[in-house]
Amino acid sequence: MISFWKLRQSPNFRFAILTMPGALFLLTFFVLPLISILIYSFWRTESYQLIADWNIENYKTILTQKTYLTFIWRSLVMAVSVSLACLVYAYPVAYLVAKHGGRYRLILVLLTAAPFFTGIILRVTAIQQILGPIGLLNMALQTFGFEPIQILMYSNVASAIGLIYLWIPFMVLAIYLSLLNFNFELLEVAYVNGAKPWRAFVEITWPLNWIGTAIGIVLVFIPTFAAFVTPRFLGGVNGALYGNILEHQFGATGTWALGSAMGVVLFLICLIFIMIIWRTINLQRSGYTGEEL
Amino acid sequence: MTEPALKLEQVEKTFDKVRAVDKVSLEVDKGEFFSLLGPSGSGKTTLLRIIAGLETPGDGNVHIGGHDVTRLPPYARGIGMVFQDFLLFPHKIVSENITFPLKMQGLPPSKQEEQLNWVLSLVHMEGYEDRYPHQLSGGQKQRVALARGLVSRPDILLLDEPLANLDLELRKEMEVEMRRFQAELEIPFIYVTHNQEEALTLSTRMAVMNYGKFEQVGAKLDLYNNPNTRFVASFLGSPNHINGQIKRVEDNIANLDWKGFDLRIPAPAHANSGDDVDYYLKHERIHIQSPQDSGSVKGENRLEGTLRDIIFKGQHSDYFVVLKNGQELVVSAATEIPSLKIGHSVEVYWPPEAGDAYLTEGKVN
Amino acid sequence: MAVVVPKERVVITIQSILLIFLYLFLYFPIFFIIFVSFVDNTVWPFPPVFTWEWYERLWIMSDFHVGFLNSFLIGVGTGTLSSIFAASAAIGLLKYQSRWRGLFAVLYLSPLFVAGILIGISSLMFHRNVLGLPGNLTSAVLANTPQTLSFAFLVILAQLTRYDWRMDEAAMVFGARPARCFWEITLPTIWPSVLGAFLVSFILAFNNLEITFYSVGAIATLPTIAWGTLRHGIEPELYSMAAVINGLVFLILITLFFLIRLGFIRLGYRGQ
Repeated sequence: MISFWKLRQSPNFRFAILTMPGALFLLTFFVLPLISILIYSFWRTESYQLIADWNIENYKTILTQKTYLTFIWRSLVMAVSVSLACLVYAYPVAYLVAKHGGRYRLILVLLTAAPFFTGIILRVTAIQQILGPIGLLNMALQTFGFEPIQILMYSNVASAIGLIYLWIPFMVLAIYLSLLNFNFELLEVAYVNGAKPWRAFVEITWPLNWIGTAIGIVLVFIPTFAAFVTPRFLGGVNGALYGNILEHQFGATGTWALGSAMGVVLFLICLIFIMIIWRTINLQRSGYTGEEL
Repeated sequence: MTEPALKLEQVEKTFDKVRAVDKVSLEVDKGEFFSLLGPSGSGKTTLLRIIAGLETPGDGNVHIGGHDVTRLPPYARGIGMVFQDFLLFPHKIVSENITFPLKMQGLPPSKQEEQLNWVLSLVHMEGYEDRYPHQLSGGQKQRVALARGLVSRPDILLLDEPLANLDLELRKEMEVEMRRFQAELEIPFIYVTHNQEEALTLSTRMAVMNYGKFEQVGAKLDLYNNPNTRFVASFLGSPNHINGQIKRVEDNIANLDWKGFDLRIPAPAHANSGDDVDYYLKHERIHIQSPQDSGSVKGENRLEGTLRDIIFKGQHSDYFVVLKNGQELVVSAATEIPSLKIGHSVEVYWPPEAGDAYLTEGKVN
Repeated sequence: MAVVVPKERVVITIQSILLIFLYLFLYFPIFFIIFVSFVDNTVWPFPPVFTWEWYERLWIMSDFHVGFLNSFLIGVGTGTLSSIFAASAAIGLLKYQSRWRGLFAVLYLSPLFVAGILIGISSLMFHRNVLGLPGNLTSAVLANTPQTLSFAFLVILAQLTRYDWRMDEAAMVFGARPARCFWEITLPTIWPSVLGAFLVSFILAFNNLEITFYSVGAIATLPTIAWGTLRHGIEPELYSMAAVINGLVFLILITLFFLIRLGFIRLGYRGQ
């Protein structure tokens, strides 16, 4: 009896009681489903049914057939470009708000995050309304006698703009949160020691904020790589990405096994990307002293 | 006649209508350890930042090593600086922190290593090259910060209250070390502090600053023994403060009425009967004895009182004497004077010129 | 003192321009759509001819009410599950020292690093084939919760790090058992962040497409209706629907903003 009471009071027990329910939920409804598609990826589909006929045909298809590889490559290029574009644009913006925002910091940052909550369909519609063939931009150009800008309609450029539109809030937020904890006085130290402003940025600001920047990059890369809604509506004929053909497997064709395999490949590519980024993070080199949290 | 290492001409800086630095001029030579002493808000840190290039003066010129640097950004001034919170780069190891200024100058790695080794042995931090700042103690961080400031042998070294975050023993140790560095290297140190003991220990010359102006500049003993203004007199040495009215002025001596006591003080300039006067008397300038002994001389002030308390300070003791007029004086004297016992009568005496007297001009600080 | 080296003024100006342009980029499309939803000539609305037509059409759209209700239910379900799990986990993680802390933190944040569509298809197959759960609202809630749980976790964590746990120790000294302590001390202090977590989860689930589409079966939600409509080209009803949803999101975000402010005020500024 006594030992039970002692157990109840131990911090480990309390910790477990509080964290296990959510953890179990995640294991059941997040981890297990992912494991299940791993399993299904080795099966095959026949007449819209999954048959447990273990094989690696699906993977062979994806990894050897040119069409699939092309799509993977296109999505990779798109994801990297969009991530870089977001990075270049978000950094100065986040810097401004973090350093000079004062008491308006919270509002300024929330304003960049707010559009994110309106949902993907609305946002794609909104962008299409501006950039599409009968969108505001082109109608304005036509009204004033100019030619519509071809490259913005139904192209990868339009897709890219759309994806930047969707995911840049994540990048801004990640870098902003990192800069909040950055001691800007260190820049003064650098100046006094002979560093010109750009040098100071490269030597001091960038490394000390790399962890936040890396998180931002990953948070933009992953949904961009898996995108299907945006390329569907903005990408045009040649704009289909990996996400589109993945989605296709769960639509009319009902080829769930192949779709599962594609999903696994998607997951692995994202995982590899995360691993690469992870390797670049050296805690000491980012100024981590073990004091926070 | 060589150019002074640092020259300030009528430097002025205003923030939001407040004159942080008010037409300050100064010359500092290579061999000097110069302190800027003053209370917080006096403008000393602002002045230091102007010298560093972190603030642009509203008016005036700054010359370092003979060159006019007033319009130059900090990275073009060739100075060294030590900051109050050390401000070491947390993501760089000790050697990288120290060689940072050399790296910015584009020195070849072999040269960098040479300078690094030299400065590490100077501050006694050999062997710590690969540590990160968070692995160092406060004193060690301080040495690394100092090393970083000195490694490029700059024209001047600026120090912004560098010892404020160290505990007493470490501070005493570092004070001695810093005097040694400055003398050895012949680099002028410009040292900002609000701690007058520190300034008096370290510097050769100093300035007392208040409300953006230099109250007095000169050799430290000069400021200590012959304060020009009321502020300097009250700021250095934490003296006894006696306030009263002049009854009579004769030759250069005035008679001051101090709550019933008649004191002889040196007459301040333009003093007249009835003027309000502040008289500052440093602890060590007063003599204390038991009433039986007689050591005082004619013309000196002699008062009787009761010894309320003795506080042991190590090399001396502070004696707290309550006088017959109800006021209290603190006297610094040798420890263990057998004839002085708490609760018993004592006698205090001093010559008029042992203290400094100034007209009370309204309420100035 | 913030140093502004003269050249920095140029940098600040450029950054400000970028920031303003970012806001325009993000918000102009949204406001334009709302504007156009009230206009007859949607393709080139200048000069605008006002009309309520699109709203009327939206109102009588067969699926609209059902869709709204379903989205709402999914949002509520997901929000409730997420905020409860997240609050529990956040308190556990911050209050008790355990060597599993890091591991659990990684687990709770991992859904953020998995693409939505992956969660959607994996949930589809897992629910249907393994759990025998057909596509319906429950399935949608269960599928949406992992990702919203991560967001909720971050929201509560952000505020909870400023909570002074010594208050709990004081409560214990005065006789409060843990559950009581939570009810009397902790919850009354942190409720803004829990409510905030609920609202964030609600919106995300309400507006979600990639996950919900696969797990909700044939049931209509606003995003799936919009998705279906969009596939046939832009219909003006989409604009009014967008305006309505944006209005809802805006209201929720305003509430969220005040909750955050409240959180700062109540928990004060602790330490540096």
